Amino acid sequence: MNQNQHKPSFAIPVTILLLVLLVLSMLNLWFGSVDLSWKELVGSILGHHATPQTNIIIWEYRMPQVFTAIAVGMGLSVSGLLLQTVFRNPLAGPSVLGISSGASFGVAIVVLAGSALGINVLQGAFMLNDMAVVTAAFAGALLVMAIILYVSGRIGNIVTVLIIGIMLGYAVSAVVGVLQFFSGTEELHAYVLWGLGSFSKNSLARSELVLLITLLTVAATWFFAIPLNAMLLGENYARSLGFNLKKYNTVILLLAGLLIALGTAFTGPIAFIGLAVPHLARARFNTSNHKILIPATLLTGANLALLCNLIARLPGMDVSLPINAVTSMIGAPIVIWIIVKRSKIKVS
Amino acid sequence: MKNLLSIQNLSTGYHLKKGRTRLLHQNISVEVNRGKLIAVLGPNGAGKSTLLKTLLGFIPALKGEISYGEKKLSEITVKTMASMVSVVLTDRIDDTYLTAGEIIMAARYPYISLTGVFDDSDIKIIEKAVEMTGVMAFLNRKFQTLSDGEKQRVMITRALAQETPLIFMDEPTAYIDSPGRVELMHLLKTIPTQGKTILMTIHDVELALRFADELWLLGKEGLFVKGNPEELIANGSINKLFDTETVKFDRETRSFI
Repeated sequence: MNQNQHKPSFAIPVTILLLVLLVLSMLNLWFGSVDLSWKELVGSILGHHATPQTNIIIWEYRMPQVFTAIAVGMGLSVSGLLLQTVFRNPLAGPSVLGISSGASFGVAIVVLAGSALGINVLQGAFMLNDMAVVTAAFAGALLVMAIILYVSGRIGNIVTVLIIGIMLGYAVSAVVGVLQFFSGTEELHAYVLWGLGSFSKNSLARSELVLLITLLTVAATWFFAIPLNAMLLGENYARSLGFNLKKYNTVILLLAGLLIALGTAFTGPIAFIGLAVPHLARARFNTSNHKILIPATLLTGANLALLCNLIARLPGMDVSLPINAVTSMIGAPIVIWIIVKRSKIKVS
Repeated sequence: MKNLLSIQNLSTGYHLKKGRTRLLHQNISVEVNRGKLIAVLGPNGAGKSTLLKTLLGFIPALKGEISYGEKKLSEITVKTMASMVSVVLTDRIDDTYLTAGEIIMAARYPYISLTGVFDDSDIKIIEKAVEMTGVMAFLNRKFQTLSDGEKQRVMITRALAQETPLIFMDEPTAYIDSPGRVELMHLLKTIPTQGKTILMTIHDVELALRFADELWLLGKEGLFVKGNPEELIANGSINKLFDTETVKFDRETRSFI
């Protein structure tokens, strides 16, 4: 019954994930439409021997992307893990609660509503006030989250909360659809672009802020590893172990919602990472113990987001692919693999 | 010393819509002492599980009072309850990665801080419980890969390691074959010798009569009778509750013929 026996077995994969994180970050900084030498790259990161031009490329363009990708990859993945455990549903992810739809709704209001109502609020699609979009997305996400938390605080049945979240998502998406129908081409284009997601929307200062807040929120989730583990035994066993589930569900949904709101507001909705990464982490680490899974998930999530960002702008290409397309192309096979593997386990 | 559990004028059942209720049993008054194996016996649908869930506070009592020691159930927090009653339920655990050992370790969650560090005394308590139930061999196996009998042993080990004076079990012998059931009852019989009391629902009458110290009979029309097996056989309560047109309980062989 020596629990310490297990420790080395996951210290190694965690170290590997950290090394991969470092390598992927460096590759993200290195590759791009402008070729840089390793010397210049390292020089710029360490703050010496670099031309002003290199410094601008690294610090104003590529570093914010790396920070944003890490933050969003971590945040969405951990939120997916929390939601899968709270709802005891392997297909739960950031999109199920309607929180990311809420963010889209906020953006749609700002970008589309003016044009739908025939008022020209914005000075053309490409001069969109960036901060207004982020604020609107965040407000939309928080609005839906507030409704979900209100419901979960009043209704003990978590399945009901899940269904209400999904329904809210549909309702909000429908409103967005109506707004799209009545809006002008330019605004529509701007909205669609936002919906494709991008890690390169943020300045260095803002990406650092997003990363910092995400890290703090993710760190807070670690203190709920024990109640989350208890939830794996089911509602009644968790309760018999002394966990007031109404309270813990609400706090954990709050943390997950905050991570989704952060991730979506600053990059647009990013598909699949939140759903797929927790499964990858469980399979790789062969555990559902949240004390191991939370660090495993956040590192895997950050790595996958960095990898997607790298694939999105492979060397030799002048344009970068929309990040949402890349995450879906990688995420969908992962989800299929999980489903096939699960059904195999059930058969055998 | 106060009783572990005392029940006064309890009515169990469900609240339906529009203020109506579905009453299952009423005026149950009974005391539970230390070191007993109590079997709650009755036909399917008599309300055995409902009684257990009501006592746990999972569903509200329609009437009456439930007290653990000096405290009323309504005044006991979920957290305090975890140190008074542990449970073995029929709920299935469907997580694919949990090991038997991890599930048993969860028994100590009520006693550890949020950082989730088990100290030596926790490990000792778990080792003791593991030794008692003989589940050492499959601690590192995934819970999903265990047989139903092995799973039940793991859940019983977990309940023991939670170190509560009361253990509630809902149909612990369900899904297990006959030799396995007898083996399991022999194991359960050793637990009250440590001063713990087991309150279990069971629908195997012969098994309950053979192993329980005390029986609570729950009948269909709100009937509630308690007593030890000898009394209940002698005064015909068992016959009254279980006999049908074709099957009778035989007092001599203590079996249905």
